[in-house]
Amino acid sequence: MENNLFLSEMIRSELSEVVGPDFVSVAESDKFIYSTDWAWMPQMWLDRGMQLRPPDYIVHPGSAEEISEILEIANKYRIPVVPWGGGSGTQGGALPIFGGILIDTKRMDKIIAIDEKSLTVTAQAGIIISQLEWALNEKGLMLPHYAASSNCATLGGALAPRGTGTLSTKYGKAEDMVLSMQIVLPTGEIIRTPPVPKHAAGPDWFRLFLGAEGNFGIITEATMQLDYLPEARLMRAVLFDDLNKALEVGRLIMTHRLNPLVIRLYDRESTSSQVKKVLGYEYDGAYMVMGFDGDPEIAALQEKKALDYCQQLGGRDLGRDPGDAWWDHRYDFYYPPKSLKLPWMYGTTETVTTFDKIANLYWAEKKAVEEGFVDWNVKFIAHFSHWFHWGVMVYSRFIIEEPPQDAQEALRLHNRVWNAAMQAVMANGGMINEHHGVGLKLSRYMRKQYGEAWPLLLKIKKTIDPNGIMNPGKTGFGF
Amino acid sequence: MNEEKIMQPQTITATIENCRYCLMCRHVCPVGHVTRRETLTPHGWGLTIASVQRGLLTWNQDTVEVLYSCADCGTCRAYCVTDQQLPDAIAITRAEVAAQNLAPAAAYGIHTALQEWSNPYKRQVPETVNGQAEIALFVGDDAIYLWPAALESALKLLEAAGVKPVLIGMGRSNGHLASSLGFPDTAKMLVQTTLDELKASGAQRMLVLTPGDYYAFEHLLSDRLEVEWPVGVEIQEVISLLDIKFTAGILKFKSSDDKRPYAYIDPSHSLRIPARYDVPRRLLASVMSTAGHELFWRKERAHPCGIGALQFITPQISDHLTYARLADAQQAGAQIAVTEDPGCLSHLNRHADRFGLHVQGFYELLADHLV
Repeated sequence: MENNLFLSEMIRSELSEVVGPDFVSVAESDKFIYSTDWAWMPQMWLDRGMQLRPPDYIVHPGSAEEISEILEIANKYRIPVVPWGGGSGTQGGALPIFGGILIDTKRMDKIIAIDEKSLTVTAQAGIIISQLEWALNEKGLMLPHYAASSNCATLGGALAPRGTGTLSTKYGKAEDMVLSMQIVLPTGEIIRTPPVPKHAAGPDWFRLFLGAEGNFGIITEATMQLDYLPEARLMRAVLFDDLNKALEVGRLIMTHRLNPLVIRLYDRESTSSQVKKVLGYEYDGAYMVMGFDGDPEIAALQEKKALDYCQQLGGRDLGRDPGDAWWDHRYDFYYPPKSLKLPWMYGTTETVTTFDKIANLYWAEKKAVEEGFVDWNVKFIAHFSHWFHWGVMVYSRFIIEEPPQDAQEALRLHNRVWNAAMQAVMANGGMINEHHGVGLKLSRYMRKQYGEAWPLLLKIKKTIDPNGIMNPGKTGFGF
Repeated sequence: MNEEKIMQPQTITATIENCRYCLMCRHVCPVGHVTRRETLTPHGWGLTIASVQRGLLTWNQDTVEVLYSCADCGTCRAYCVTDQQLPDAIAITRAEVAAQNLAPAAAYGIHTALQEWSNPYKRQVPETVNGQAEIALFVGDDAIYLWPAALESALKLLEAAGVKPVLIGMGRSNGHLASSLGFPDTAKMLVQTTLDELKASGAQRMLVLTPGDYYAFEHLLSDRLEVEWPVGVEIQEVISLLDIKFTAGILKFKSSDDKRPYAYIDPSHSLRIPARYDVPRRLLASVMSTAGHELFWRKERAHPCGIGALQFITPQISDHLTYARLADAQQAGAQIAVTEDPGCLSHLNRHADRFGLHVQGFYELLADHLV
């Protein structure tokens, strides 16, 4: 756009006609701030004094209709469009790598309806999750998507990358809570998915938009399933000498449907570093936190059964305090300087697989990262935090405390570590991601992840977004 | 001196580096809430400052306006698990920008007014204070120039409670505005003059009318200005004293005939003073005949009402903060919005009609119902 001021101004005028001049920005300051999201790669790039490609326009629409008109302009001029919620993604999914129009959805932040009979809320997608949660709490309700990013991420931002919150083990991922959505398709049509997700009226096409990261359209509204605020929440901590035995306890709890709201199992390295740093506990072993909520009697019984499994497999009951402390401070891990932060290099290579593969996957990834980058004194830490009836997610992370200072060299090293981790993950039956999404960071692994099925996804993309304007370069799709 | 509390260069750098990529207070930032601009959030301010330091941005009209769009309300810090002093770091950065003559023109105009008249509203020097008493009342400038009825009523209430304070700081800013605009020397001059008056009064306790004044003397002096608070002198909010007298049965109120639903609006800077939320509500409940409605942005998450530096530098953001408070009260079902801060009262009252609200001074309401 810089080379064609005339055209740039023409487009700006058209966008202003749609949303009003106050809601289109080409200010240097805005372009700069919106040039990065929460991924390590762009943050490191700016940290080292390098500029990123900014968006050409930052637009703040107030309705689905306005988004539709913006997309009409984008199609006409073949301009990339990047949807933006809270900018809290770790995968570079909101980076405007080809410039274009960045659509910040946060003006669309209204709660449309709370149905206290069906326990649902319908809200615009730009609402910040914590604000929505506060509003629900005033009615004794909760949206049990308690993500670490809730203070900054939007409702749409939880759905677009298939996000997960702390309570997912009992209440599911964000995608499990959504009943229906309003979506603006890349070609401008405003559609609604069926009012309920569980039916037999044809294929489950509404799930196409979950995890598409804006590639198939922009989520503008969602109806979400709610729950009552629990009467009781019982937290407990257990320490294991043997990580594999702790994993087996988790499997037993899940396969016997004891319904924990959370099981968070830190490996020995994570226990001695992250848990020590944030919670102050100096445990030698694998620290496991588990919680049960709802009816006090049922929760207590579930907890008792779970503790029995822990005892059978050598777990040492640490009592309630270290569990409560974790619950009270569960997001403290993400506040700097407690969080991982620059100038370190780090990455969350989290993945998910079935119980039969999880231990092998963990050890294989750990070996690939630690042995492959021994010269960089890389650290590998992990916790197992989102459990299913069939398997578990491992939140694995690598940390290099003294990475190269040169930005390009640092980026290359970062990508090499990711390659090693992802190869180990895929070779051991894992998915390249469980809840942060694909974004730019993992885009290059999508073809391998899906193999023969990948062309089908490409065809769907071409059908829904014929001009390829939506979030180009992300989720495996090109420009 | 307060060297351990005043931000040192390394602390400022660490704060900016911590905040530039942290989004954990995004949900409570009032400016971010009304503008929806990522740039105008704690993360945006942190990244802007950090990027100027790295040569990626320069201070120009655009970026300086961003820097001066923070409300300096303290909400981010109140919600920060690691207590990052971002508002203080922004004030220090503004001081650097102002020293380079790069601050917005309006900032220099206000600065001149503060230097010459000690207030931004009227070309009038503060009244000279005479007299001594055990208790002093810091009046400030808003209560003189924006909402005088608050002072009159507060004095009536204090008299009924058996307290006759000597008035100090009549028409003088509490220093926060100068500090917030990036003129710490002027802020120091203003507070030092008030402290000289306090010393001359012989008072061992200084009452303040608002949470903003409490914050200024309890925290600003030590956090930003190298001014020492006099040893042995207590600061107390007037409403806190009234509450004690009410609880002791010294103050009595009759019930209001007004049946209209009301909401209490926590004044700006309230969340910088934890554990003060119940006191004004308790006093109001003793007068009002109906239960108070609660705003969404209340108590620990109370947003400012548009006063402070923003009203002079980016009045459109200031107005939106005021609108947001009024809209919040309206959505809560209130017809009367009650608060005690004279600045807030003035701002809210300016736009109340369009939200169908009547703005009521807290002190006036109580004074009108004294038994």
